[in-house]
Amino acid sequence: MLLEVRDLHVEFRTRDGIARAVNGVSYGVDAGETLAVLGESGSGKSVTAQAVMGILDIPPGRITGGEVIFQGRDLLKLKEEERRRVRGAEMAMIFQDALSSLNPVISVGDQLAEMFTVHRGMSRKDARAKAVELMDRVRIPAARERVRQYPHQFSGGMRQRIMIAMALALEPALIIADEPTTALDVTVQAQVMELLAELQRELRMGLILITHDLGVVADVADRIAVMYAGRIVESAPVHDIYKAPAHPYTRGLLDSIPRLDQKGQELYAIKGLPPSLTHIPPGCAFHPRCPLARDVCRTDEPPLYEVSATRGSACHFWRECLNG
Amino acid sequence: MAEPILEVRDLVKHYPLTQGILFRKQIGAVRAVDGVDFALGRGETLGIVGESGCGKSTVAKMLVNLERPTGGSIRYKGEDITRLSGRALKAVRRNIQMVFQDPYTSLNPRMTVGDIIGEPYDIHPEVAPKGDRRRKVQELLDVVGLNPEYVNRYPHQFSGGQRQRIGIARGLALRPEVIVADEPVSALDVSVQAQVVNLMDRLQSEFGLAYVFIAHDLSIVRHISDRVAVMYLGRIVETGTDTEIYEHPTHPYTQALLSAVPVPDPEAREHRERIILTGDVPSPTNIPSGCRFRTRCWKARGTDAETGRWRSTATGRWTDAETGRWRSTATGRGDMAAPRPVYGTRTAVR
Amino acid sequence: MPDGRHEEEQAIAGTGMGGTMDLGVDEAETLEKRPEGPDGSGPQDKPRSLWSDAWRDLRRNPVFILSGLVILFLVFISLWPSAITSGSPLKCDLSKAQEGSQSGHPFGFDGQGCDVYTRTVYGARTSVAVGVLATLGVAVLGSVLGALAGFFGGISDSVLSRITDVFFAIPVVLGGLVLLSVITSNTIWPVIGFIVLLGWPQISRIARGAVITAKQNDYVQAARALGASNSRLVLRHIAPNAVAPVIVVATIALGTYIALEATLSYLGVGLKPPSVSWGIDISAASPYVRNAPHALLWPSGALAITVLAFIMLGDAVRDALDPKLR
Repeated sequence: MLLEVRDLHVEFRTRDGIARAVNGVSYGVDAGETLAVLGESGSGKSVTAQAVMGILDIPPGRITGGEVIFQGRDLLKLKEEERRRVRGAEMAMIFQDALSSLNPVISVGDQLAEMFTVHRGMSRKDARAKAVELMDRVRIPAARERVRQYPHQFSGGMRQRIMIAMALALEPALIIADEPTTALDVTVQAQVMELLAELQRELRMGLILITHDLGVVADVADRIAVMYAGRIVESAPVHDIYKAPAHPYTRGLLDSIPRLDQKGQELYAIKGLPPSLTHIPPGCAFHPRCPLARDVCRTDEPPLYEVSATRGSACHFWRECLNG
Repeated sequence: MAEPILEVRDLVKHYPLTQGILFRKQIGAVRAVDGVDFALGRGETLGIVGESGCGKSTVAKMLVNLERPTGGSIRYKGEDITRLSGRALKAVRRNIQMVFQDPYTSLNPRMTVGDIIGEPYDIHPEVAPKGDRRRKVQELLDVVGLNPEYVNRYPHQFSGGQRQRIGIARGLALRPEVIVADEPVSALDVSVQAQVVNLMDRLQSEFGLAYVFIAHDLSIVRHISDRVAVMYLGRIVETGTDTEIYEHPTHPYTQALLSAVPVPDPEAREHRERIILTGDVPSPTNIPSGCRFRTRCWKARGTDAETGRWRSTATGRWTDAETGRWRSTATGRGDMAAPRPVYGTRTAVR
Repeated sequence: MPDGRHEEEQAIAGTGMGGTMDLGVDEAETLEKRPEGPDGSGPQDKPRSLWSDAWRDLRRNPVFILSGLVILFLVFISLWPSAITSGSPLKCDLSKAQEGSQSGHPFGFDGQGCDVYTRTVYGARTSVAVGVLATLGVAVLGSVLGALAGFFGGISDSVLSRITDVFFAIPVVLGGLVLLSVITSNTIWPVIGFIVLLGWPQISRIARGAVITAKQNDYVQAARALGASNSRLVLRHIAPNAVAPVIVVATIALGTYIALEATLSYLGVGLKPPSVSWGIDISAASPYVRNAPHALLWPSGALAITVLAFIMLGDAVRDALDPKLR
């Protein structure tokens, strides 16, 4: 396993008390594998990734437990100095908002080249050549000319390509992409997603794709981890989940996608709203919204039951859910 | 189509680009909306889809008179509302209301929910007598699925989905006939989107509303719309019933847009044929000559000719696809097999 | 409690989390910004405006409490100075000039033999009156002009912005020396007038920006789409949402205006004796600071504490009204 997160807990101090953003998340990614972490806002999917990358804001955030094993080392036990060397060189992150992730007053070429001068100690000239090569690789037309341009001179799609180029610069073993295409238009989204998937295959990187879009997940993921209120509620190979979800929340999400044969009918809708992280319901966090909920769900927090060798569901009644 | 309640003809909105401080001279224009035609029937839903910058939000603003068109007309029950002002404009506004995209900025944080939903009655006091308002507001809250006792709360005490319900209740207060909804669910959590779509669906049949539903999520548009218009760079490039557009798209842009939408079915990914467009949408200050899609079209040939517009007799469907391309992209379809040129073959549309 | 009701309560508790689609990177920040109280799950039928939220925040802020108490005390002694001193600021005895602290006269005497304690207490009245009245004038004039410029934009905005720039270019002290030296009236009004004249551009700039920001919100568009008149848009939708930064800046400015009055009086162009003002006393005490430092120390200390109190109050109010600025 390239990366293994074990029983991670993250809290935030807020004005209203402790917000438990991540409550015992475990997942793993192999080299060359794409893990999609699916969830709504407040599900803890981004916070988990930030904890893995070591870019969590502390305070108000605080990691209260767990391990992040990357290539055999627990990252949480490393010193900040060592962490920094891992970051960028061995794992890299792509953000949703490329414009605010790039420095507006430095040309994109210099920002790319900096990766090589800082981490690899290359000369400026060689680094510049590498930057052009990278921009070519992410298929930015006329890379040689555009290398001197500034971020605002690129379109949204092109900026996201530059972000990808930066993430790939040092050929990391793991890439975490946090909603990489959410801010892009549909037709551009397709271009960027395809580019990312292709480069990942080529370089055999592990990819953690954080998203709320079930369509994007179905297109590129190998495995899915569905998060709700800071926990993984279902984890399975992509085909299994779409065929028969084993958690009522996953089922609800899939059922609420408009389908052809439902035209003119009510859409299925999960009732209620996601919980506040300062007041997560006791027992199973999903129980107030769950159609299968019974008394036990209000009191006992379900563990991640083993559905099959590759699949887990945090629902007391996963069998019922699986059978529809 | 039912009797049209709203008819939009050749709608244009250009924002001038000026230079100089004292003597402003126009050096160009952002052609945000560049000749849009459509009609909306009573009780019907027209979905408008397109990517950011295609002008769909500007169209919405012109429909509710938040922006004045540079040219063209918007007829509500036969009357052109683009030239109205004063009392007449206020009267029309009662009948065309808007639901906004962002439920966080569309409700005044300093007003209670009761004041927000009751504000339409303050502005149009003839609709509800003063003593009746509180009851009406509570009724509206109930209609959109919120507890009527919440009238004294403030917007920040609600979640996004609930706020959007409040926005819808405000839109309904004056009993309008048309509601223009600009991306009403795209700012909401996935699990809450379906609730709001269902609510809008229910209200439509309950109050006989006609919707102009603007969105970029093609699956939701398909679910809620009777007819769909596809916009690209300020122009509707194709329109038709939802089935026509989604099953038999004739314009290459529609085809690309549809094929780019991720399908939530992993089985489909191996044998799905996707059209991946190259490049970005051109700037609306510098729209390509001829067919405005030609810079990204894989079927484009080296001509600058304007596109012809083709209209089907039966459904009012039309497309901007040019003859040769039309034939090669279209697969056998009933009434579209022999399109009748509206404006003549290969002549300028406008 | 029936199930549905329970759900709603939780939903309410979830405010701020449930809404935005997926700004994952900002999740931590979103948590921070949540305007919910610690009683989030408790009964919540009491309406809570942003003002009452801000008030709840302020009540727990020691900086606010401290500066608030200081200011309350100042207001109290400027209204009823005789409550804490029995003397008169104008009753001086030259024979006691520059004498130090003694029984009944804790702060000692100044160069004219006046009781420093009494004069300091009475000086508060001038400072508070000038500060409050000048701030009121600045706030009213500045926010009206700024709001008009921000709301209507175009030519009126350009003209007003240029005028603002001109006023900003006037050096305050030099302007005061020139303008006030020609005025002979020995009341606080010329000083107030001068401060208003030079102070309004600051507020007008803030108000203009706040109005432009508020104007762009969808709720203003929504009201416009309903057919709301301009006055309704401004009074009901824009002003309540633009007033917070004006209040904050005005509170902080109040402190600086008090200092400005003292400065002008020190320079001899503000208030003149026999008026009582900290500035006059500081000015009078400075020549013989070596012999009687206490005569300088007490009025300047009072001035510093007063100015600081208003600035800290402004800071606390800003934190409460706009947590994002923290």
